[in-house]
This record gives sequence, structure tokens and C-alpha cells, in this order.
Amino acid sequence: MTINRAGWSLDLNRRDLFGLGAGALAAATSFGAQAQTTGKPNPPPPAKPKGVVVVGLSQEPVAFNPLMPGVEVDEVVWTSVFNSLWVAEPDGSLKPDLAVEVPSEANGGIAEGGLAWTVKLRNDVKWHDGTPFTAEDVKYSLELINTPGFKARTRVGHAFLKDIMVKGPHEISWRMEKAYAPYLAMLANTHIVPKHILGKAGDPNTAPFNNAPVGTGPFRWGTRQPGDNITLVANESYHGDGPYLEKAVLKYVPDMTALYAQFRTGQVDLVIISGIPANFYQEAVKLQGRKVAVAPSGNLEIIMPNLGNKAFAEKAVRQALYAAMDKQAIIDAIYYGVPKPTESFAPRESWAFNPNLPAQKRDLDKANKLLDDAGWKRSGSGTRMKNGVPLEFAVSTTTGNQLREQCQQLMQQDWQQIGAKMTINNMPAAVIWGEFYVRSKFESLLVGTTFRTGVDPDPASRFASDAIPVKGGSGGNYMQWENAEADALMKQGQETFDQEKRKAIYLKLQEIVREELPILPIFQYAPIEGVKEGLVGYRPNINQRQNAWNMGSWYWAK
Amino acid sequence: MSGAPFVSEVSLGPAPGFWTSPGFRRFRRHKLAVFGTVTIVLLTLACVFGPMLLPYTDTFIDIRSRFAVPFSGPHILGTDPLGRDILARLLMAGRISLAVGFSAMLIAMGIGIVVGMVAGFYEGAVGAVLMRFVDAMLCFPSIFLLLAISALVSPSVPSIVLLIAMTSWMEVARVVEAQIRSLKTREFAQAAVSFGASSRRIMLRELLPNAVAPIVVAATLNVAHAILAESYISFLGFGIQPPTPSWGNMLESAQSYLTSAPWLAIIPGAAITLAVTSFNFIGDGLRDALDARLD
Amino acid sequence: MIGFLIRRLGQSLLLLLIVSMIGFAILHLAPGGPLSQFAAGGEMTQADLDRIAEQLGLNRPLPVQYAEWLWRMMSGDWGRSYRDQQSVLHVITSHLGATLELMLTSTLLAMAIGAWVGILGAIKRYSLFDALATVGAMVALSIPTFWFGLVVIYVFSVGLGWLPAGNRYTVGDGSLLNQLHHLIGPCIVLALVSTAVWSRYMRSSMLDVVNQDYIRTARAKGVPERQILLRHALRNALLPMITITGLHVPTLLSGALVTETVFAWPGMGRLFLDSISYRDYPVVMGILMFSAVLVLLGSLIADLLYGVADPRISGSR
Repeated sequence: MTINRAGWSLDLNRRDLFGLGAGALAAATSFGAQAQTTGKPNPPPPAKPKGVVVVGLSQEPVAFNPLMPGVEVDEVVWTSVFNSLWVAEPDGSLKPDLAVEVPSEANGGIAEGGLAWTVKLRNDVKWHDGTPFTAEDVKYSLELINTPGFKARTRVGHAFLKDIMVKGPHEISWRMEKAYAPYLAMLANTHIVPKHILGKAGDPNTAPFNNAPVGTGPFRWGTRQPGDNITLVANESYHGDGPYLEKAVLKYVPDMTALYAQFRTGQVDLVIISGIPANFYQEAVKLQGRKVAVAPSGNLEIIMPNLGNKAFAEKAVRQALYAAMDKQAIIDAIYYGVPKPTESFAPRESWAFNPNLPAQKRDLDKANKLLDDAGWKRSGSGTRMKNGVPLEFAVSTTTGNQLREQCQQLMQQDWQQIGAKMTINNMPAAVIWGEFYVRSKFESLLVGTTFRTGVDPDPASRFASDAIPVKGGSGGNYMQWENAEADALMKQGQETFDQEKRKAIYLKLQEIVREELPILPIFQYAPIEGVKEGLVGYRPNINQRQNAWNMGSWYWAK
Repeated sequence: MSGAPFVSEVSLGPAPGFWTSPGFRRFRRHKLAVFGTVTIVLLTLACVFGPMLLPYTDTFIDIRSRFAVPFSGPHILGTDPLGRDILARLLMAGRISLAVGFSAMLIAMGIGIVVGMVAGFYEGAVGAVLMRFVDAMLCFPSIFLLLAISALVSPSVPSIVLLIAMTSWMEVARVVEAQIRSLKTREFAQAAVSFGASSRRIMLRELLPNAVAPIVVAATLNVAHAILAESYISFLGFGIQPPTPSWGNMLESAQSYLTSAPWLAIIPGAAITLAVTSFNFIGDGLRDALDARLD
Repeated sequence: MIGFLIRRLGQSLLLLLIVSMIGFAILHLAPGGPLSQFAAGGEMTQADLDRIAEQLGLNRPLPVQYAEWLWRMMSGDWGRSYRDQQSVLHVITSHLGATLELMLTSTLLAMAIGAWVGILGAIKRYSLFDALATVGAMVALSIPTFWFGLVVIYVFSVGLGWLPAGNRYTVGDGSLLNQLHHLIGPCIVLALVSTAVWSRYMRSSMLDVVNQDYIRTARAKGVPERQILLRHALRNALLPMITITGLHVPTLLSGALVTETVFAWPGMGRLFLDSISYRDYPVVMGILMFSAVLVLLGSLIADLLYGVADPRISGSR
């Protein structure tokens, strides 16, 4: 079961693949804002919703309450059935959705340095059952998240809320316990649920609403065939543009090779999220009537070392291993040149990305020298030792992922040349992402993950020293990296709302991470998504977790 | 089935040995069984000695020669996505797959025979408890047992052998139990009892030898099933860890390349099919050979 | 007989209890849990994960969790799926239809073809037909179905376009004809192995019967061969088949895991696979109990039929 993405779902599917046909992909075409490549302008959208789109997914969406835990495929439902206060656009900006404008310090929506928020809401929004949307719904949603006993997906940011007040049917304000800049990004991914339905349920965790959601979005809930598909129907009284499609069907095909086959035969109109297996890329790009291209992604493929392990605790070892990695071979040969190498934990499309980090180059001499200087001497078997500790470690990844396995085997051979003995210890996704991961029981992992907080570049939950769960912290710093300078920078980055200031902070942070190497970055993910020709409106968005985020504005050209 | 080969001719010559016994002669007549036996022997020899004769090892990665087509260059059966020689990997994988098949069979047979024999002989409460235990084990789908094993150990050759054995001993126990129960009522068994022979002696010396036929047949089919099971386990993600090749994990990693490099899937698939088919033929031949009524 | 049945029933209930205990223990002790999938995403922090684990009651001691599960089960509440919060019974029954459809059609197909091939093979033993059938069956039994399934999709769906590439029906067309069209692919792949198995069983069963004394007697009496085969041999050869069918009932409902995955068939097999992968404990336990009941039932039926068929083996257990 694969999935090279941070999404587990991906990890649970068979055949993960990236890569694709040999050769020529560096110039992989990307989807522009227009779906047509002929250069003709798109026909205008239809006056009344018509047509059906069939979206192929290799994992089944099962969580329909947007405030409860879910993965990428579930978000396809959330972004179509619900709305959030504002939406993150592909260029990084926030566009108001349920709110009239995005609050900021400039327009007074955010005051007292981030402690007081006021948001004005649209007055023309209706729930799918006709009830008008009001500020009470926003208050209800935010309070529900913090209600003990409710299985809220995440309380990051929301935990700082206090004194939520409904100032009028379309105005809401609240206070925060401390200034937390990433909250804007968090709210972009917080969908509002109806108070008049969920509020009346005995237990929101098991309310019937969770299987027949009612939202304000461009599509309303249609039917669900468990294990097979979900049908969403156009919401004709939607407050925004669209929807232009009569129906959207989300189809579950667990095997990625079989999903690609359905894409070829036209049984599904698009393949997103896990995308098309790499080795089909070359063939897929040539398919008639289909557009296949690489979509940008905020996920990174990295080696995540556990600094609690004696060998990895030494910076010299991490640097030597990084220097001995043959990134080029991995990208060109195993992944067919599709993804781009990276030195940073931020995606290159992020406003905080640092393009001036030193580029890694494979240099075995340098690697050997680093280890020699640090006191790691070669022993009889060829493996280096220092103070009785051999330079031996395991790299684990999810089973069933051919390309990662190939990558591991290549690294194994390379690292052997500098005296590091690497063993492969793969296990199914459920096992890897359990205690093995969150309690830092691994030696090192080859995984895909993200270091942002939603769309916000703040990586504090992954790098701060108070975010190490196994040491009592409450974050995602499973590498157990502790660096005072980085801690200070990340704290500053959270407290100010000035984007220029934050950018400078994150540029410096990337330099530190590149130098200290608490993670060994390999490449930025590049999933290959395919769309049937004639579908207008599909636009990959690196600031969303899936590319059906704007399904309300899709339509067929013919 | 009656069990022991029945000597149909009375002769004054030297007593018939194994190679001239009617059973063996019947086996020889069964062409497919002979073919199966020869195939397995050749396959085993190739896997044991072959890798030593090849110029390439099974783990040497040579990125520049990846996806070489079979019969087109220095690599006889081509190379895999990492440039490793497929023939070398196939033979090394054969060692693993055949070894896993045999070991799993031995363990499954061991457990199955003991449980079946004891249950069939003692019947009553003991028999009931044991057979209910067999039923209980059968209640767990094999994928569930896979989970159980993975809970205790990470995927490796021993854990896979254990797993396959755990999922296949029940059928053996069932067959043996039914056979022993039936044999117990026969005259020779009753005779042994009346002589005052100990239970153990009766079980091991009288009943078991007469139950040999279904046991042997079950054993060959067990190996066949074990080899196939190994490929399924690899499909589910619990297979042999890289870089060690097994037929199952070679087949599994070839799925994505079905259209671009079909030989990656055809070659291990053919090996599995050949081995499993051969064992099935042998089992078939043995069943015919040991079935005296056909004389 | 009644005593035998009651004893077996009692034993089976005890067995179900033990199976549930072992199953529960294995499931919860296996590494990873229902929250692993969210740990992978990076969006939920450790605090979030711990909180949800607490809310799901996963931190309580295992015997306590088991006792609660058992208590609920006995009052008819099979629990709710961790994934979509639907009741476990609803989840199972919503997948059952697909599995029954697939398994019944493939078994009927396999029985029809397999029985006929096996019988002919037994009658014309060692003929060319028999040899080909035997080889064919052996090869069919030896091909890994996941590989075969993908080949079928690639050849007949992507290549020739004769068959759809998966799922139970084409979106927007729920007609019976369309459903049958979608059924062909997975049915054939599944039937391949079953046909081989049935043909081997029938052949061996026919051979057993055909060499019995009463058949020779009938032949000696001059009864026409055809009548011998159809009236006497066939009927007696089919009896063990019934026994075997009883034993196959659980397989029938556990579904064909692999075939369902490749053909995106929404059946029980794939549900089980997915539930285990996501550690959806309530659903896994539900399916486990479901299949355990079927196995025990099948075993009981098989034993009853053995007893009926062979009076030497009495119901002395």
C-alpha cells in the first residue's frame, strides 16, 4: 500500500508510485490556470449546472464531519460540501469565502497585536436545508472544537480562543490567549458546521449528520455506496460562483494500477491525490484526450533520523551520510526525473522558501573525511566504529512501496562505501505510523511529510524542542532535535503578523536546518495527476491538501 | 483409501523393494508426476548451485543497465529496475521460496499429524477438544494471523515460515484425524489392541504407517500451497525484506511495470507456476500410486 | 443425535468466546492503531492524537475494553466503525451484497465447468482430454490471482476495451446489464482457481465411486454405461461435494480479498483488508465473529454429512 505522501492513505494503498517513464521529465508540463492547451479561450460556464465529473481516489473517503479527524481524500468532500471563512489560493493569498474580508492588522480585523479578532460575515449564505447561515454557526463550530469529549481533529491554534462573541447575525469577534500568526492559515482549513443541526444532536461524535452532512458549499450531499462511491449534487442556491456541474462522483479504486487503467478507459475523469504511478507517466502523457502533468505539493521526501540514536546524534555523521547520497540517481533513475531536489523543508512555492541554500553534491571523499575527522574509524568488516559504537542503523519505510524500496537499496550500496552499514526494516503503514513513529522508536525513516502548519510556513510543531513527544512535549518533533537558536526564531515567527519580518526569520531557520541536518531532504513531492480533456477549472493548489478544492468552479467545455 | 500398497503378485523371487514396488511403478506411469519430480529436482539444483556459476550477484545495483530486456545482452534474463541481474535474483529467490515452502510444510505436517493422530486415536473428550481447537484456528482468516505474527516479529524468513505453517496445519490435522479414526476400527488395529500393545505403539507403529498415503499427498500439496502463499504474503506487504529476493517479492514489485517491462512479472510468475504445478503433479501421482484399488 | 447437536452447540459457543478473546488481544496488541493514519499526515499534533485516543477509550486496560465489547455484543450492539462511525452491522451488510453476488456467480460457474471437466476426465482417464484438463487445472491453481487479475484488466479492458476496468457498475447506469458486464472480469478471475479445484475434486470423487463394487456389478449385469454413470456414479460422487461446499461457506463470505482489490469490487474481503490496515477494531472484530460463526456452522454441517455418508464414523464426539 503506497502513498508517498504524508497522507497515510497514500501509504496504505497498493502500488505507490511516482516516477514515470524513463527520460524526459524534468520539463514536466504543469497545469496552468486554463485546462486547454490549444490556446483557445475557454467557453463560458453553463447557465444551469450540467454534466457529471467522476473523481478517482485510491482511498475511500469516510470522514464527512470536517471538524473530526480525516485525511486528504476526506477533504475532497469537505471543500465541496462546506466552506471556511477564507480559502488559501494557489499563489498563497487568502481569499474570503464565508467572511466578507480577511481580517488583518491593516483593516482592524486583527487588533492588539493579535489578541483581538473581529470578522464580518456574508449575509447571503444559506445552509443546504435553506436555513440562513449566521455568526452563531461560526461560534458553535469554534466552540465545538474545544469541547472536551468532542473528537476534534486538531486544537492547534483553536486552543488559544476565548470569549467568542456574536456581535450581530453577521459579525463575530473573539480574543486569543496569545498572538499566534499561523491561526489565519488554520482557519482557512476550518470548515463551518451548522449549529441548528449538529447543535441539536445528543452526541456530535455519533450524530447522523456525520453520515449525511449539511453544509453551505457548492455541492450538497447526495448518496453513498459504502466501499464504492459517493455522489454529491449541485447546490443551486450557492452564494459563490458556480457550481456548474450537476453531479460529482467520488469513486474509490484501491489499486493504483487499476485506477490508472480506469483513467485510460475513461471510467474516471480525473486521478488526483495519489495520482498516477510513476512508471506510467511517459505513456500517460501521450494519451489522447487526457492531460497528465505534475502537480505541486507541499510534501517532502526525506530521511528522518532519530537523534536519540548514538550515531545520528553526531552532526558529522548526518552531514557525511547526506554528502554520500546520490540524489541525482534517485531522482533521475528511480523517479524518472519528475520531482525536483530540494535543500529546504519548505516547498519552493512558499513565500518563505529560501532558494540560496547550499546545494548537495555527491562527494564520497568529503563524506569519508567528515567521518575520519570525527573519529569514526573503519573496522575489519569495513563498517566504521567509534568508542565501541558501530555506524550501523536501520532505515524503515512503508512496505509495498517499490520506489522507496529501490531508493533504500541504492542508499544502502552508497553508504556502504563510506563505511556505514544500513539495514532495511520495512513494515506496513499502520505499524510505522504508530508508536514506532510517535514515540521515536525508529532509527531512521524514509518518508514523505510536511513541515508547515496548514499553509503557514511555521514548522514549530516539527522542530521546536518542546515538541518532542517522547520527552514530554506535545508536537511532532520525532527526530528529537534540540536547537536553542531555532527555538528562538520559531517563537518569534509565531508572534508577529508582519510577513516581511516572518520571511526573514524563516530564511534564517532554513539555513540552520540545512546546516544541522535534523532531516536529510531529498526531493519535493511531485504527484502526477491526470484530467480528461475538456474539464475546465481544475487548478492544482499547493496550499490545499487536494486538488479538487475548487470543484465548485469546474465544468465541461463541450 | 486403504493405505499400504497392496502386493498383487505372489512371487518366489526376492521380495520387492521400493523401486520395483507396484506403487512406484504406478507413479512412473503417471507422466505428469514424473515431469513434476524431474522439474523440482532440476529447479532445486539450479537454485543451489546456479548462483555460484553466474557472473553477476543478486544484489549488485547497476543503475545504468536497468530494464535490460531478456536475451538481448550480457544479462540472460534481463535486469530489474535497479539494474540487478534477474537470473541471479531468480535463482537466489528460488532458494528462499523453496526453503520457505519445505520448512513451512514440515512444521505444518508436524503439528497437523500430531494433533490429528491424538485426536483421532483418543476421540472422546480429548478428540473433541483438539478438533475444536482446529476449528478455532480455522476461524481466523489468514490475513488476521498475518497481523498476529507481525505483532510479534518484523517480517523475515522465519516469521513467514511460521505464518504459512500456522495457516495450513489445520487441514492436515483434519485429514489425519478422519483417517486415524477410520483405521482404528479395522481388524489389524483391533488386533494390536487385543495383544495389549501400548497406545503409543499402536499409534506410531500400526496406524500411522497405514495413513501414510494421504499424509504424503497432503505434504506435497502443502509445499505447493506454501510457495503460493509466500507470494500472497508479499502482496500484502509482509513479505521478505529487500534486498533479499524471493519469487513473491519479485512478482510483487513487478506489478507496476506490467506494461513497460512485462518480463519482470512473467519470469518470477512462471517460476512460481512451474514449481507449484510440479508439486501438484507429484501429489497427484502419489495419490494415484498409493491408491491400491486401481490395480 | 440431539445430544450430539447440543454438545456441539455448547462447544461452539465456548469456542466463539475464546476466538473473540484471542482475536481482540491480537488486534489490540499489534503495533499501530486507528490513529496511525493521522500521525502520518502531520496535521494532528501528538496532543491531538493522545486526546483522541483517550476519547476512543483506547488507553483503558485491555480486559476492561474487552468486557465492554463483549457486553455490547451480547445485547446486539456490534459497535461503531472508527472510520465512518456507522454501526458495524450496517458496514458489514452494506458490503455483503457485493460479496455474495461475486462469490455465488463465480462458484456456480466454477462448479458447472469444473464438475463437467472433472467427470469427463475421470471417465476417460489418462486420455488426452484428461491430461490437458489436469495440466490446465494445475496451472490455474498455481497462478497468483493478483497478477492474473491485472493481466485481465490490461488485456481485456485497457487493450481490447471489451470489459470495464473495475467497480460494480458504471456511474450513472445502474442497469442490470451494466452490472453483469462489470461482473464478468472479477468472476472469471475468481472462477479460474475454483474451477480447477472443483474439477480435481469431482475427478477424484468420480474415480473413487467408479471403481466401487456396486458399479462393477451393475456393469456385469449389463446396465447401459450411460445409465450407470448418470444414475449411480454421479449421485454418489456428488455427495462428498456437498460436504466440501459446507466447508467452503466461510470462504464464500470472506470474499476474495485480492480480486476485490484489483477490480475495485466493494465486498467483504476488501473491507476486511482495509479495516485491518486502518486498525478499525470494531469492524475487524465484527467480521471476525461473523466468519467464525460461519466456519463453525460449516464444520458442523460437514461433520453431520460425514456421519450420514459413512456410518462407520458415528457422531461419537
